[in-house]
Amino acid sequence: MKHLFFFILVVSFVASYAQEKYTLSGYVSEKKTGEKLLGVNITVGTKGAITNEYGYYSITLPKGVQTVLISYIGFQNISKEIDLQKSTTLNFELDDNPDQLDEVVISGNSASKKVTSTEMSVSTISAKTIQKLPMALGEPDLLKSIQLLPGVSSVNEASSGFNVRGGSADQNLILLDEATIYNASHLFGFFSVFNTNAIKDLKLYKGGIPSIYGGRLSSVLDIKQKEGNTKKFGGEIGIGLISSKALIEGPLFKGNKDEAKGSYMVAGRRSYIDLFSFLNDEFKDTTLFFYDLNLKANYGINDKNTLFLSGYFGRDHFELNNFIGTVWGNASGTLRWTSILNDKLFLSTSAIFSNYDYTIDNFRSGSDFRWKSNISNYNIKPRLTWYLNANNTLKTGIDYIFYNFKPGEISPLNGSVIQAEKFQEKFSAETGFYIDLKQNLSDKISLQYGARISNFNRKGKATIPVYDNGVPLSYDDTQNIFIENEIINETEYKSGDNIKTFWGFEPRFSLRYLVDDQKSIKFSYNKMYQYLHLISNTSSPTPLDIWAPSGPFLKPQSADQFALGYFQTLKDDKYDFNIEVYHKSLKNTTDFIDGADLLFTENIETQIAQGDGRAYGLELQLNKNQGRLTGWLSYTLSRSERKIQSINNSEYYPTNNDQLHELNLVGLYKLNERWEFGANFIFGSGRPVTYPTGKYKQNGLVITDFENRNGDRLPTYHRLDISATLHPKPKKRGTWVFSIANVYNRQNAASIYFREISEVNDKEVTTGRTEATKLSFFGIVPTATYRINF
Amino acid sequence: MKYLFIFSILFFLISCETNVTNDITLNGAPPKLVINGGIERNPTNPRSNQFIELSTTIDFLDQSEPTAVENAIVMVNNGIEDFEFIHQTNGMYTNSEITATLGTTYTITIEWNNDTYQASDTLIEAPSFDNVYSVFEEETLFTDEGYFVNFDATDPLDIDNYYYYRVFLNDVFTIVPDRGNSATLIENDQFFDGQARTGVNPNEEVVFELGDKATVQLLGITENYYDFLFQIFEQTGSSGFSPVGNPPPASIGGNLLNITNPKVRGLGYFYASDVTEASIIISE
Repeated sequence: MKHLFFFILVVSFVASYAQEKYTLSGYVSEKKTGEKLLGVNITVGTKGAITNEYGYYSITLPKGVQTVLISYIGFQNISKEIDLQKSTTLNFELDDNPDQLDEVVISGNSASKKVTSTEMSVSTISAKTIQKLPMALGEPDLLKSIQLLPGVSSVNEASSGFNVRGGSADQNLILLDEATIYNASHLFGFFSVFNTNAIKDLKLYKGGIPSIYGGRLSSVLDIKQKEGNTKKFGGEIGIGLISSKALIEGPLFKGNKDEAKGSYMVAGRRSYIDLFSFLNDEFKDTTLFFYDLNLKANYGINDKNTLFLSGYFGRDHFELNNFIGTVWGNASGTLRWTSILNDKLFLSTSAIFSNYDYTIDNFRSGSDFRWKSNISNYNIKPRLTWYLNANNTLKTGIDYIFYNFKPGEISPLNGSVIQAEKFQEKFSAETGFYIDLKQNLSDKISLQYGARISNFNRKGKATIPVYDNGVPLSYDDTQNIFIENEIINETEYKSGDNIKTFWGFEPRFSLRYLVDDQKSIKFSYNKMYQYLHLISNTSSPTPLDIWAPSGPFLKPQSADQFALGYFQTLKDDKYDFNIEVYHKSLKNTTDFIDGADLLFTENIETQIAQGDGRAYGLELQLNKNQGRLTGWLSYTLSRSERKIQSINNSEYYPTNNDQLHELNLVGLYKLNERWEFGANFIFGSGRPVTYPTGKYKQNGLVITDFENRNGDRLPTYHRLDISATLHPKPKKRGTWVFSIANVYNRQNAASIYFREISEVNDKEVTTGRTEATKLSFFGIVPTATYRINF
Repeated sequence: MKYLFIFSILFFLISCETNVTNDITLNGAPPKLVINGGIERNPTNPRSNQFIELSTTIDFLDQSEPTAVENAIVMVNNGIEDFEFIHQTNGMYTNSEITATLGTTYTITIEWNNDTYQASDTLIEAPSFDNVYSVFEEETLFTDEGYFVNFDATDPLDIDNYYYYRVFLNDVFTIVPDRGNSATLIENDQFFDGQARTGVNPNEEVVFELGDKATVQLLGITENYYDFLFQIFEQTGSSGFSPVGNPPPASIGGNLLNITNPKVRGLGYFYASDVTEASIIISE
């Protein structure tokens, strides 16, 4: 197989050097703001190129006169005749298409490109669309919006994470301007950390993940922040019930030229949900808010070199007076240098810092303490893109990450007798070397393939326990339980020593066969390794989860995924349709053993078991791209299961996010220049739940007994949300967005739980009697926000 | 995750609970043997009998009392000799001969339904109280206004200690399935080894009035029993609350092993414990 690819590669090189050729290259940007445009089509006859993530394109063409067509959805096409007598740099600026702009909002990807691209299992949704969709809690939300796409779901409305094709929430690589975001949620999952005002573009890879990405098994969510207007100063203010936000942007080093050498964007957001706490006397001393800041600046050193600086800082604060206080959040910074080495070589180099931390202050008298924990990383990524010729583009690079884990540190507060103690820090280094080639073999067949070689080192300084029997946990076959082994010795590693090294070979392959202009068939395979594990003993992630590196007692996770798809456009791209099937098998996914206690536990390997998983399904999406009514219908049929020793009698059990059917219907309707309406309907079959099989008494309390994990199902989930956007009159600035979530007030079950009846006449007591209770999150929620652009 | 229960407060603002007891059909399971009880050494208020209770599980939404096991043969060995525990009423088995001594490992053997079950635990010394007193506290989000019993105690240095606190209101043992139990009723000295602690509230849910008799017990327990109590307090405190802080539901393994058929484990815990006890009358 490998030899065949090499042969094809050589043949196509030879073929393309047979004629005299020159290169046309440059940037494409938006005329109004100067913002670089990603994924713009440059077409010359039958040849084509698209702009990369920095808006740069390069295409090799035969000498002579020809017509270049620049097209991008929502913008007016440019058709330009050029006489190519030498390699030429040509920048383009695209103007809004007034007829199209507000109609076509589903994604930046045109319908025909979905058919012709080698990419499959990829979803995009524009920030503009997200802002028009109905809001659950008064705030346009990126993570909630991507869950309207096939194959993406979450365990419930208050889950910090999302699940892609049956993967767990920690298997998503979330990148904000290349920096890893470890916890993408505010307020325990009701909101995501991404301020949609500051977002330019996002892309979600569910499969066929190219080799430039690595480190997580299930998906890559690649989010890019706006760079800022290079032409004039501007901004936006949004006022909502839950939060308010502001954004300013403008040129840098403009002087009196038309276009500046750089630009900046600063955005901020703060929630004030706690201002409503006075409504309930019990909560009057509660502090609860989040805020975040987004920043981006770029500076063009010269025609060939550009510097970018990007940052994110977000915090959640939660305090109950005299009882407990917690603070958590992400911080990240990216410095990137892009350089056009020559008309065929594009180099980008990024240095990235990313951090996630939390603090818990316990104010209970007698044992006041502060607990701190964090994970941080330093990342360097040089990447070279080589536009070999019109049919071949090669990307190669190195991705080096150094991790520092501080699992926990406790210190006394208010003079309590709690003794200061620090769990040992963990260090590790992850290196990925990758090569990725995009190749058009013929008019019909296009390939994208490559490989990533990953290396992970758990490094000293560390003291590693030596367990009896050589492992932290021994499986007892007769009782079907894990038994913790004693620590019999310790091994000391000095700073920089390699404690344990892992290697991974990750081949990636995608193929597109064009049946005709409107139809294509695609196939992809990808292998992924994941060296970090999110250790959580709750059903869904929380802010207090611990990230842990692979090491002597924790093996890397891996996944193999195959996907096959059919893509088609209908009625001149008015509609497009795709259907995909996939199968994913997972190795060494982690789960905690029964009865695990993870917080304040130093040797977490004694609490974790690893096992296999499998997920498979069918996804279908029909998009309507043009007209007054736009939107999509998506349907997912899927299964996701795990098999881990000791859990569920060591047999396969459904994961918490397993859902057989999921249907989303999203519609946006433009009534006139002022009014737009949106609606989405969500239907999902019941998620797994574990019902009790018996009860007994212990120490005066009723204890519940269970047998099969996730053996039962919650009731069906469905909900309708609607929204209306009122655009300002000509020359006015304010926009209103009204939204009603859960219109028919369905009390969907987030969970059903079983407990002893313990409250009688408002007093806590034990009764011995038991009940089943359904928990629902929000019922009908009307919200409104007001936006001003200047 | 001891402190996660705090987060659930937030959800009350926007969540809603519905009783669905009558809409749910549960798949039951064959009854399992349950042990509740153990050997206690209490120098302040010695037990006249040592007793343990045996029962079997019943369906979760069955509102009758658990079925008492009356036909088991129960023996406890103290490393030297066997003592037979005799059934009295309602699944209660007693013995007045056995003595509770520090450092002894007690092993219980139960013959029931043609299966032999076994469990053992070691009796570990508990430190004495430095002081026991009552404190008046105002209402907080989690506690009512009223008088609480507090104690001071010194943790023995360089020993891993595990504690379980019991509170009696007018001689009635009082416990409620509260979210805070796994952080309040049991503690280990991981972060206060060898320290003299003051103002420890052994159960924040028990509110006293002036003139009430308050009894507090400090039990020295094994790490194994601590882990078991942690699990039952986590389970009863979280009520299976899904979004935060609840461990996914699983059977809680105690220490009662089925020797004959190991996959069918018994439930509950047979413990041995040293008990430090003190009583006060609540006054201003």
